[in-house]
Amino acid sequence: MPPSSDLLQGTLDMLILKSIVLRPQHGWAIAQRIQQISRDVLQIGQGSLYPALHRLEYRGWIRAQWGASENNRRARYYSLTAAGRKQLEAELQNWERLTGAVNLVLKASF
Amino acid sequence: MIPEIWSRVKFFFAGKRRREVDEEIQFHLQREMEENMARGMNEKEARRRAAIAFGGRERAREQCRQERPVWTLESMWRDVKYGFRGLTRNPIFTAVAVLTLALAIGANTTVFSLLDQALMQALPVQDPGRLVVLSFAGDYSGHRESHGGSSEGHIHEFSYPMYKDLRDRNTAFSGIVASSTTRAGITWNDRAEAVGADMVSGNYFQVLGVPAAVGRVLVSSDETAPGANPVAVLNFDYWKSRLAEAPVVGKTMLVNGSPFTIVGVAAPGFHSTIWGELPDIYVPVTMQKTIEPQWDYLNDHHSYWMNVVGRLKPGITLAQADASMNALFRDLRTEEFTQLKDQSPKARTGFITKGHLNLEAGANGFSPMRQDVQTPLTIIMGMVLLVILMAVVNVASLLLVRAATRAREFSVRYALGATNGQVLRQLLAEGMLLGVAGAVAGVALVPEALHGLIRWMSSGSDGSQAFSATLDWRVLLFTVVVTLIASLLFSLAPAVQFWNPKLAEALHQGRGGTSGSLRFRRTCVALQIGFSLLLIVAAGLFVRTISNLRNVNAGFATDHLLVFNLNPLLAGYPPTGVAPVEQRALDAIAALPGVRGVGATNDEDLADDGVSGDVVVPGYTPPPNEEYDVELPWVSNDYLQTLGIPLVVGRYFNASDTATSDKVAIVNELFAKHFFGSPRAALGHHVSRPNRPLTDATIVGVVRDVKHESVRSAAYPTDYTLFAQAERTTGLIFYVRTWQDPDAAANSIRAAIANVDTKLIVGHLTTMRDEIDQNLLAERTIALLATAFGLLATVLAGIGLYGILAYSTAQRTKEIGIRMALGARRATVVRLILWEVMVLAGGAVLVTIPIAILATRAVRSQLFGVSVADPVVYALGIAVICVVAGLSAFIPARRAATVDPARALRTD
Repeated sequence: MPPSSDLLQGTLDMLILKSIVLRPQHGWAIAQRIQQISRDVLQIGQGSLYPALHRLEYRGWIRAQWGASENNRRARYYSLTAAGRKQLEAELQNWERLTGAVNLVLKASF
Repeated sequence: MIPEIWSRVKFFFAGKRRREVDEEIQFHLQREMEENMARGMNEKEARRRAAIAFGGRERAREQCRQERPVWTLESMWRDVKYGFRGLTRNPIFTAVAVLTLALAIGANTTVFSLLDQALMQALPVQDPGRLVVLSFAGDYSGHRESHGGSSEGHIHEFSYPMYKDLRDRNTAFSGIVASSTTRAGITWNDRAEAVGADMVSGNYFQVLGVPAAVGRVLVSSDETAPGANPVAVLNFDYWKSRLAEAPVVGKTMLVNGSPFTIVGVAAPGFHSTIWGELPDIYVPVTMQKTIEPQWDYLNDHHSYWMNVVGRLKPGITLAQADASMNALFRDLRTEEFTQLKDQSPKARTGFITKGHLNLEAGANGFSPMRQDVQTPLTIIMGMVLLVILMAVVNVASLLLVRAATRAREFSVRYALGATNGQVLRQLLAEGMLLGVAGAVAGVALVPEALHGLIRWMSSGSDGSQAFSATLDWRVLLFTVVVTLIASLLFSLAPAVQFWNPKLAEALHQGRGGTSGSLRFRRTCVALQIGFSLLLIVAAGLFVRTISNLRNVNAGFATDHLLVFNLNPLLAGYPPTGVAPVEQRALDAIAALPGVRGVGATNDEDLADDGVSGDVVVPGYTPPPNEEYDVELPWVSNDYLQTLGIPLVVGRYFNASDTATSDKVAIVNELFAKHFFGSPRAALGHHVSRPNRPLTDATIVGVVRDVKHESVRSAAYPTDYTLFAQAERTTGLIFYVRTWQDPDAAANSIRAAIANVDTKLIVGHLTTMRDEIDQNLLAERTIALLATAFGLLATVLAGIGLYGILAYSTAQRTKEIGIRMALGARRATVVRLILWEVMVLAGGAVLVTIPIAILATRAVRSQLFGVSVADPVVYALGIAVICVVAGLSAFIPARRAATVDPARALRTD
């Protein structure tokens, strides 16, 4: 198994929030989605996915509800709360600023 | 928003249920497996891959739990639980450690609370930091009434006219107050008692910023003219304890027989500008003639009797005040000098040039008593520090010994995946628990210890005394914090041993600890033996001091002797009526059955008191500049016989010596030898006070020297005269020699005095032995505490020694087994163990003895009749150490001797 890329501290939280911004998802789907969209570059260590989900839930950024999965089994669906939406926006802005700055440095001709 | 908060609150307490987490993970794995099967794997392979991809399920679960908000609390609680379990597994260790800490905390807080009260606490007045205590240097002539605390160059008593000039003509102080303490007789609701009375300036309370609790305090207009201000303010404690907080304002009470109007009660907590003085009432200084009818101080420049304290004006520094006050003082002294008889240049130099006013920061108040308690309390503090050091070392070595025996436990914990952090946290939790338990137990000890100590120190005194049993919470906090930090540090000491241990090795050996840590433990035990020897030696020296002091020959028999004082002035007698009523009291007591003799003096024996001055002896030419002060007691006719002071030559006073007959004196041998060369030569000579022809008396007898001031000090030259023939009258101290039991005698004495006049107050009735004991209070306190600390230290050292021996013997089980298998006998094994103890104890003792001799030098001033290198004390100390070492070696040695070689060789 290829070693999963190390994610910057706090980046996983942002990715999770982003992946459920449109509609509620369960844990496995979140992991799959991040992996697919990143073309398998970002492999979420699944051991760390659930603690992260719990952390976000305790902070009140996401809410969990039991629902039926695509194959009709009971699954926990996570959706964004208002606070979570605000948090995601703040983190995205922060990320843009950070990557922009890093890019500036990297692309500068020395 | 609200539901979110609600959900967070819910999470905080409940968290998510474990089952939900399990179900979620289960779903994830299921989904992953389906996906894998969809890629064409068989079921078994798909499940395996899914499990691999997910990683440790238990770990994920654990991490989910750790995300819970209460996780930190939970894990702390778990650490505490583990710690508690760890401690209860070894209850003796725990009890010893907790007790050690408790004693250290308790002793330290108790003694330091007292020390703090005596030395550091500011007076309970407004802004005490601005107060300045005044004293002066320079010659003075006349009468000085001192209650101690003054020394050459620091005379703390001023005359009233001088005080008034300083107060009214200074520019540096916003106010200057004066006070003088004495005793007065009070009659309230027909009950008479002698109380402490402060004569204070009118501005006293206002300048100090002490408000009234009830009514009003004294004000400047209460200090107008001599005899014109019969008002009084009560001390709060006196009002509360003796008058039961009765409504007093506006009421009249008799003070020395004169009516005074009570105007108020001073605020609680305030006593005096002099720390240790506890007056019961305050009256304006202008009433001095009523309070002390035998003196007339108010217009006299040559009576020095008032303690003076000033409050600096805002913005004025001590140095500025010093400069301006000294200029004023010099002016005042120059004016005063013109009134003196002796106008010689030498007198001028002594009076004006050498005159100086000392200004000293007075936030804590001036106190003669402070100097008395400072040395004993400092010594006690030193002993307490030693005990604390011992406690600290003891707990550290106990924890280390225990840690060594827990190597296996920790190895197992590491093997099961505990991290260094977790092991560390558990050790910290144990240390914290020990510290907290020790602190709680220690704090529980403090109030009782304080009360006990104060009761002990005030035993036999009039009941009121300067220390309060209030615990200083700052001291307590400090001690507890220090102890907690210390116990946390010790609890970490074992962690150093286990830091990343070589697991396999530790498990194999089943024991941790290297020779290095063994050496550390040996050092600990050696230190403990040293400390306890120090304390035992100190205890020995003080106990010997006390027994020497008790057995000192005062020159007269101190047993079967009752003492009390009687001052008819306090009952309102005019000065002329005092001597006759005193004579009637003497006669009444002499007539009691069982009384062998009764005598009286104005100069109490063995009570740290003295009435002294210089005398003129016609026919004796003093060498130039001789200053030879003698004791000048006024006594009753039978005083010398009652005390049993042997006559050397001539005669005692007898019934033919009366107020109207020729004046007579009896001197002691020291006096006779100094002035006349021999006792016999003294007879028939005259002796008088300088410039007081009325005091001229003929020497009719010479008596043996006896101790007067205290059993510690040597005899003084003494000139006894009769109180009936004295210039003035005064209260007397009565001595009654009786065969009776003290209590019975006391009752009949009280009845006899009441028979003379019910208004007379019998003050401080006690036995001479108790009086001496009371006088030896500091020594007795030190001896008691030193003994207690010495015992404590010895027990601690014994425990420490036992701990290390038990451990090292256990370590050597195999070695002992081999030795026995090779033919060593049990006695040899026992000798082996004892040898180890003796080397340890002997080394410690050898190192400690010189230290002890050096250290005890510091307390030499408190010793009496015993050298700091007293061989008996040291021999005893070493013997005690040997016995303790032997006892603590006994159990381990016996265990070693009963080792079964076959089994020992098989262990581990």
